Amino acid sequence: MHARLLAVTFAAITFAAFAQTPPAGYPADYAQTIAAANKEGKVVIYSALDTKAAQPLIKDFQALYPGVKVEYNDMNSTEMYSRFIAEVASGQGSADVMWSSAMDLQIKLVDDGQALTYASPEAAKLPAWAVYRNQAYGTTYEPAVFIYNKRLVAADEVPQDHAAFAKLIATKADKFKGKVTTYDIEKSGVGFMFVVQDTKYFPGMKELEKGFGATSYRVYASTGNMLEKVSSGEHLLGYNVLGSYALVRAKKDPALGVVLPKDYTLVLSRVMFIGKQAKNPNAAKLWTDYILSQRGQTQIGGAVELFSIRSDVDAEYTSASLAKQLGANIRPIPLSPDIIYLDKKRTDFLSEWKATLQAGAAGK
Amino acid sequence: MRAMTLAAFPRALTIFVTASAVLAPLSLIFYQSFLSAPFFDARKTAGLGAYAFIFADSDFWDASLNSALIATAMVVIAVPLGAMLAFVMERTDLPGKRWIEPLILVPSFVSPMVLAFGYVVSAGPVGFYTVWATEFFGGAPWGIYSLTAIGVIAGLTHVPNVYVYASAALKSLGSDVEEAARVAGASPFRVATTVSLPLITPALLFSAVLVFFLGFELFGLPLVLGDPEGHLVLSTYLYKLTNKLGTPSYHLMAAVAICIVAVTFPLVLLQRYLLQNTRKYATIKGKAGRMRELPLRAWKWVAGALIGAWLFVGVIVPLSGIALRAFVSNWGYGAKLSEVLTLEHFQSVWEEPTLVRAIWNTILIGTIGGAIAVACYTAIGFSTHRRNDGWSRFVDYLVLVPRAVPGLLAGLAFLWVFLFFPPLTPLRTTIFSMWLAYTVVWLAYGMRLISSSLLQVSSELEEAGRSAGASRGRVSRDITLPLLRHGLLASWLLVFMIFEREYSTGVYLLAPGTEVIGAELVSLWQGGAIDVVAALSLINVVLVGIGLALALRFGVRLRD
Repeated sequence: MHARLLAVTFAAITFAAFAQTPPAGYPADYAQTIAAANKEGKVVIYSALDTKAAQPLIKDFQALYPGVKVEYNDMNSTEMYSRFIAEVASGQGSADVMWSSAMDLQIKLVDDGQALTYASPEAAKLPAWAVYRNQAYGTTYEPAVFIYNKRLVAADEVPQDHAAFAKLIATKADKFKGKVTTYDIEKSGVGFMFVVQDTKYFPGMKELEKGFGATSYRVYASTGNMLEKVSSGEHLLGYNVLGSYALVRAKKDPALGVVLPKDYTLVLSRVMFIGKQAKNPNAAKLWTDYILSQRGQTQIGGAVELFSIRSDVDAEYTSASLAKQLGANIRPIPLSPDIIYLDKKRTDFLSEWKATLQAGAAGK
Repeated sequence: MRAMTLAAFPRALTIFVTASAVLAPLSLIFYQSFLSAPFFDARKTAGLGAYAFIFADSDFWDASLNSALIATAMVVIAVPLGAMLAFVMERTDLPGKRWIEPLILVPSFVSPMVLAFGYVVSAGPVGFYTVWATEFFGGAPWGIYSLTAIGVIAGLTHVPNVYVYASAALKSLGSDVEEAARVAGASPFRVATTVSLPLITPALLFSAVLVFFLGFELFGLPLVLGDPEGHLVLSTYLYKLTNKLGTPSYHLMAAVAICIVAVTFPLVLLQRYLLQNTRKYATIKGKAGRMRELPLRAWKWVAGALIGAWLFVGVIVPLSGIALRAFVSNWGYGAKLSEVLTLEHFQSVWEEPTLVRAIWNTILIGTIGGAIAVACYTAIGFSTHRRNDGWSRFVDYLVLVPRAVPGLLAGLAFLWVFLFFPPLTPLRTTIFSMWLAYTVVWLAYGMRLISSSLLQVSSELEEAGRSAGASRGRVSRDITLPLLRHGLLASWLLVFMIFEREYSTGVYLLAPGTEVIGAELVSLWQGGAIDVVAALSLINVVLVGIGLALALRFGVRLRD
């Protein structure tokens, strides 16, 4: 097994080193991009995905382009944003590639003129909603799911759609008092975005929010905390949890159950763009194209354990496999300025959300 | 070596560097609080909008109230307990005092982040102890996420802060008055409450102000324990503002910081005033040195049980929880310990280059960084040593300033300095940025260590040197410094432990290259990588433990 892997890697390295020809179907002048990228020698990536999770991508990219070293920096999405704007303003140069699940912040940066315009040769293979002004690209297809504790929630209780979730916590308020969890939408951009979309697609959202208030739900800034607390039984149900992480943990954690809501499932796509002032723009192009390519997407749907956005990929986690389970009930969040809720628009949404919670807590 | 060359530096330069390092970040925060956007944003405008926003935000008032409540609870709990503890340890014949003393100080050397996390996995709703208690007694009568619980835990973990001042004050107090009371038939408890403790009122007042003020800076405990039920305090409110408007709202954060400083700085000044008062009281103390231990007799059991209970709750519960959580893959009801044991978490720490770097950096910043910090503190100490001019008073106040600024904010301000002050920009992604922030944040603490060592050097030898014609620099280098050696070693070890423990200062400075365990813990906790948090916490505790063991081995007194 190991020997084979080594041989394959070795073959890939020698192939890439001697034949820097563009991948099939790419424009002929792509060879120049590769040459320029080799001259740049590295690509600096800021990403909200853990280094550990991204390791297969980095290794595979390195095998494809051994002349380009990957400097991969993981940090949370807010920090990424603030670091990027501060570094750009200070004129010191920042990331070449920004890759984040905070879709709204990424689109805002693009709208603020921080992204390089680059028509990726892979763009045609993506759904139209995942390409934004030839500057930003959706790279993954990650569902928002429900989670539950298998030891403490009976199989017939498990909610299969949003209405059932709202009904369950309303009718069994005692059992679920303090035991329902979701994102703290004041702290988490992703959680906020999901809820904004929910209000669009789920007519009973107000009732659900009241139910959250009535059961004095618990909130966290990240999926990891919710998974931990539901798995340990401190909480029983989790709402709008990032499915990519939940499904991976559920595979080895006997206490954790995952539901893809049947009425509709929101899908988030990690957004990638190249910095306008990138010091290594050509290497950044190679990385972006690689991530969008069939080869990169196969890694994303396989070893990385996110979901690939391309449908022509044969891997465990793909948009196609989700479509098979959910049919037409998938609601991807599009790359568009509509998803940006900042400043006043955001605080207004938050105060309304809070008012509804309090109304729920007061039993109205 | 380093300290010597620094000591030879002209005094003006030392004062100038210190003043810039302290005042530049603070003025940046001040300036930022009056803007409408990040100060580097071209669209910013000046105004009071940031203050208007936070004063109109109900969360801000909730957080202020909670901070005040928690700080008060801490004083109410920590001061009486710390005072009684000091009395028992200094004045009575309690057996086993020698090994109890270092244990008492443990909570002040363990990162609050680690302690808080320890309480979650030990005594949280499905913590190890909670599950065991439920299995044996059918229920556990405690909850750790309420405001009360946070106040109690914070109070218990700050007992050492009171203890060190109270016991130092008792040490310098003769025991003749107490013996008189004892002979007249008073019980040990009566002696403590009517004789000994009233005599050290200034020290107790001083530590009460200290604890109250630390209550306003509390970050790790409320971050971890306040999250589930949404209890905010000022520092966590500030942290939350990072995302409340969707994008980082530096102007709002700066405004909150100024509000915090407006509370803490007067407290720092009050503390200084009280400290001077304490020294005045010193003239009426009894003769030291003729100490006789009070026999506790039956009270021994009461005192022993109380200390034992406090150590159990404050040290053993959280640390044992961490140790256990680091070795299990999942936990809670229904998880069987034998089935979930694993070494996987340490493996994932080891496989993650950033975390390995964080461990190395943490060791480096404590050992080498700690040594350089002590050298800097010494240089500053020499700049005021045996001089009583305006500059000395300026430095005295200057070193107090960073105390008033919460580490979280100081770190953010240093990030800005490193981003926008050209000579420093190349150093931003090196551990130097972290070191400088640590050194400034702990300036007051370090200076207290150094000046108490300096006070022990009697002036005759220095005067002899001066009369023989040596310059000030030469006297410092050849007379004072060699005499300080033991004090410097002790300071180094204490600074090592403080730097290992620090977490909030690094939160915003964290970048590839500057990773340290403390800041990684905050970031990983927010990201929910609990397995790794447990493993890293344990590693952190071990590092601090090594420092503690060394300190004990070299006979360092674990207090200033």
